[in-house]
Order: sequence, then C-alpha cells, then structure tokens
Amino acid sequence: MDRRGGPSPAGLAPGAAAAVKFLRQFAAMAAVVAVVVLGGLAWNHFAPSLPGEGPAGGGRTLVARGHIVLPSGKPRPGARPVPGGKLPPGVVTVTPRNNGPGISLMLGGLLEPVNLAVLRHTAFLEAAVIAAVVLLDMGYRRLRRARRAKT
Amino acid sequence: MAARTRLDFWFDGVILVGYTVAYSYGWTGVVIHEWLGIGLGIALLLHLTLHWDWVVRTTRRLLRPSGHDKLIWAVNLALLFAMTLCVASGIAISRVALPELGIYTLQSPFWYRLHVLTAEVTVGLVPVHVALRWRWIAGVGRRLLAWRPARRPR
Repeated sequence: MDRRGGPSPAGLAPGAAAAVKFLRQFAAMAAVVAVVVLGGLAWNHFAPSLPGEGPAGGGRTLVARGHIVLPSGKPRPGARPVPGGKLPPGVVTVTPRNNGPGISLMLGGLLEPVNLAVLRHTAFLEAAVIAAVVLLDMGYRRLRRARRAKT
Repeated sequence: MAARTRLDFWFDGVILVGYTVAYSYGWTGVVIHEWLGIGLGIALLLHLTLHWDWVVRTTRRLLRPSGHDKLIWAVNLALLFAMTLCVASGIAISRVALPELGIYTLQSPFWYRLHVLTAEVTVGLVPVHVALRWRWIAGVGRRLLAWRPARRPR
C-alpha cells in the first residue's frame, strides 16, 4: 500500500485503511479549496474589482453600429463604406448590451452543429499550447543532456 | 499495468475533455455548461485528492534545487486557484442549475467578471498542466492504447 501520504490507521483492514486515507486526503483537499473560495469571498467584500478594471459597476456597455461621420459630414478616416449605402450619413444606431450580471440563456442553441466551431477553437487553442510546451520541454532536456555530456 | 495508473489516465482524460467542452459555452449552451461545470468541480476535488500525496511530497521538496518540479508545482498551484475560483464564481452566477435546485444565487457583476477571467486563465493553464506531464501521458497512453495482435494457438 502507498504510505507516502502518512501511516495507515492501525488495526484496520487494507480496504478500510485505504478508505480512511482517501477520506482524510479528501478532507484536507476540501479545506484547501474552501480557503481559496473564502479568499474569493474576501476579495469581493474588501476590493470588488478585478485586475485591469475599475470598481464593479452595472456591467452595461453601449455598442455603436452604423456609419460614424465627423461633425463636418465627412466619413471618419478609415471607416468602411456602408454596404448598399442604406443608412444616411451621420446616422448612428446605439444598442445597449447587458454584459452582466448574468448571461443570455441560449437555450435554443444546445449542441448545434453550426456552433461546433467554438469547440474546435477551444481544442485547437489547447492543442497549440500543449505542442508549444512539449517542444520547449524537449529542447530544454536535449540542451541539458548535451551540457551533461560535455562535463 | 496498475489499476491506479489506468484510473489516473482515463479520469484525467475525461476532466480534460469535460473542461474543453465546458469552456466552449457557445456550443453547449448554459444548461450543459452549468451542470458540466458543477461536475468538473467535483471531479477537480477527486483529482486533487488522488494526487494529494504528490502535493505533500513536492511541497516538502520545494527547497531542494529541482527546476522542473518547481515549475510544475507553481503551474499546479496557479491552476488550483484559477479553477477553484472559476467553479465557485460559476456557482455564484448560476442561472439554471442552482435555481432549479431551489438555491438562489448572487448574480453580482464581480462574480461574473471573475468567472470570465478565471476561465481564460484556466484555459491557458490546463494545456500547460497536461503538457508538463507529456512523457507520463505518452508512456501510459502507448501501453494502454497499443494494438496487441491476438496470438494464434499452436
């Protein structure tokens, strides 16, 4: 039996000892997780803002859509022309978007094949990071081996 | 191969796939996202419990000069913080799963932003956490998934 986590309780059958050991480790881990969660609660209580942001607000942003023009009536430099030219110059539509506290339920879009691109993107991102770290690790080990061989 | 090694390999694989699916919120929708997130929280606790020996052993050895172990330990600690806060903040802003159980959640902008931030940190750290163990994964995977032709009786 693996005794690296501490001695097994005396006088117990191997199965029971393993269960006791598992429960003891589970309790230790739950305590660590509870400390982290309490840290989050304390963060919310004492300084409710996150890195790179101001204090927590209502979470509402304004999304401007349309053809933005300068006060002179000319289009903003670099602005793309309106497709079809349907919007008259100077018209700006403003759509309030609620970014919080909640998120849209998206109940209609469960596991839609059309949204598989999102999953593919996440998988690609993870695979790219894994590949990069593996390559770095291999390079590092090769370098270390070469150094050892020299000495 | 030891049953424990097999358990670690498949259980960790399921957690990785589960996290990848849960992060792809645009595909799963909120209901699956939330239940999967709660499941991942429980799986995270079990994963940490199964590797508690490693945590204790490596923490004790931190003073000894071993760069690789220190890096893995630091990544794992950061991941512990990020994933725990991600699951906790997800529970705090739950709109379907917990209200369905009759538990009404906080719905504060702080927890929403913390959830987004920690999810982004986690999606960066999970593959690093996996990749730092690539030799073990490759070794066990090769043995587990190796195609063994059936021997012909003589």
